[in-house]
Amino acid sequence: MLEQLRYVRLVADDLRRTADFAQRVLGLEPIDRDQELATFRSDYRDYTLAFATGARAVQSVGLEVRYPGDLDAALEKLRGLGISGGRGAPEDCALRKVKDMVWFGDFSGNRVELVVRPLNSGWRYFASRDAGIKGLAGVMVRSLDIEKDLSIWTDVLGAHVSDWAGDAAYLRFDDAHHRIVLFPASRPGILSVEYDVEDLNLLMRNYYVLRDLQIPVLHGPGRRPTSEQLFLTFSGPTDVLFGFVAAGTTGNAERRRPRQFPAGPAGLCGWGSECKIAEFNNHARRRQSHERSERESLT
Amino acid sequence: MIKLTDVCYVRLGTADLDGAAQFATEYLGLEISHRSKNAIYLKSDQREHTLCYFAGSPAEQTAAFEVAERADLEAAAAELDRLGHDVRLGSVQEAELRQVRSFISFKDPTGNTIELVWRPAYGNRRYHGERDAGITGFSHIGLCTTDAARDEAFWTKVCNARVSDRIGDAALLRIDEVHHTIALFPTNRSGIQHINHQVATGDDVMRSFNFLSERQVPMVFGPGRHPTSSARFLYFEGPDGMVFEYSSGVREIADELLYRERQFPFEPKGFCEWGAKPQIKEFRN
Repeated sequence: MLEQLRYVRLVADDLRRTADFAQRVLGLEPIDRDQELATFRSDYRDYTLAFATGARAVQSVGLEVRYPGDLDAALEKLRGLGISGGRGAPEDCALRKVKDMVWFGDFSGNRVELVVRPLNSGWRYFASRDAGIKGLAGVMVRSLDIEKDLSIWTDVLGAHVSDWAGDAAYLRFDDAHHRIVLFPASRPGILSVEYDVEDLNLLMRNYYVLRDLQIPVLHGPGRRPTSEQLFLTFSGPTDVLFGFVAAGTTGNAERRRPRQFPAGPAGLCGWGSECKIAEFNNHARRRQSHERSERESLT
Repeated sequence: MIKLTDVCYVRLGTADLDGAAQFATEYLGLEISHRSKNAIYLKSDQREHTLCYFAGSPAEQTAAFEVAERADLEAAAAELDRLGHDVRLGSVQEAELRQVRSFISFKDPTGNTIELVWRPAYGNRRYHGERDAGITGFSHIGLCTTDAARDEAFWTKVCNARVSDRIGDAALLRIDEVHHTIALFPTNRSGIQHINHQVATGDDVMRSFNFLSERQVPMVFGPGRHPTSSARFLYFEGPDGMVFEYSSGVREIADELLYRERQFPFEPKGFCEWGAKPQIKEFRN
């Protein structure tokens, strides 16, 4: 059902500061800007990142589906799981530059938006800084209950689990190894937003640029055992982290068998990079009642 | 013309042989191939040893290059003698200590002790490191120079080295297809400036960066990527302040006729294309 990962909308208290981060640190191209909204382009899409403030600001992940009928079908299936969503009003669609949309909250309280005919840009992407960004790559989402939230992604939206790292589920619905990662946590919300950069050289150049800009790097540079992606995760202007990723496995999706990797840093980096992210260090997952976590606590 | 075929080994004096051995095995990842009362021989590839620590002053540093024939050794001795270098033929006992059949010793114009060796010993066992550092072998050395132009002339005119690139006046010299086997670094002293081991992949460079950082080994440059050789690198400090380097993906120069050396700036961007800044004295202005 899902065509592609489309955008991330984040809530910002200080739009000026967040916009500065998006341009100066991430190197994205500014698109729309008013008192309550700032959007940024990273590729052929009109925008992939929006910071909003004020009454209409919500944190959400936007995913594209092809037909309005898919929206109805999704709402119907969600009702079967006991989740009520809503159809986007014309002003909601206009704000997001889409033709039609529905939204719903998962079992943890993360807001997901399904959109039809989101706007592409007729002009190519022109970066504010040469960070080598190729596009929006993935979003990590916190989950209070992986199993229940996973059922939405697999049963309703048709995504597949590519791999497991501990109880974190890497979900794919296109050529990429994953677009969404559900991470066990004690509160909901988007954990990180990741942009694809050209290659290892660009990733490492960005690492030193971030150091010069005094942006705290929280994990990496490293390589994920799951997707084989090179990654670098760092602080953003709000509590949502940002990351650069490069390379990684793609394609051959149907034949891939989900593999179980260790929980914690060992399953997240094959280079042994220092990890300062609580969710990745397993601090949050103790709250979850899972056989596996019980077994691990014995060892 | 003195025909160097490969860099062979480095000998380093140290006051703390046990400490050096521990660093070389547990941190650097070399394998002890032989140990005597006053020396420890370390293996990094198929050769019997490529690094030797011996009880002595850390100022005693020797780099050795291999020549192909005994005649090359004799011709080199005659040529060096003619140029006024103080050449000495190693005794049988000294040759045994170095695990070579025969060798001569001299000082280059800066005063670095250089040995030319014939028939260095190869092992029957392959290298198996103390830790999984991914080392594929001892590959090159950085040499201090007090006069870059004079020493470049020595290595390229008296010996068979060719300039692959220059960073400021620091010449990177090749003696085979590998981008450089000798890197000259202008400074005010003699000695070995760094010792390089190649590792299998860029992943190994990054793994070692984290492994050594966690153990408080002083990182002096990198992780980074050299614009000259395209190698991904990491420099860190070992016993007695010696700088060690891991690198992977060094460029090879196959076409001697078409290759033209390039000039890079003597500043951080000439040393690293990712933006790492060197904390190495010889790499800074």
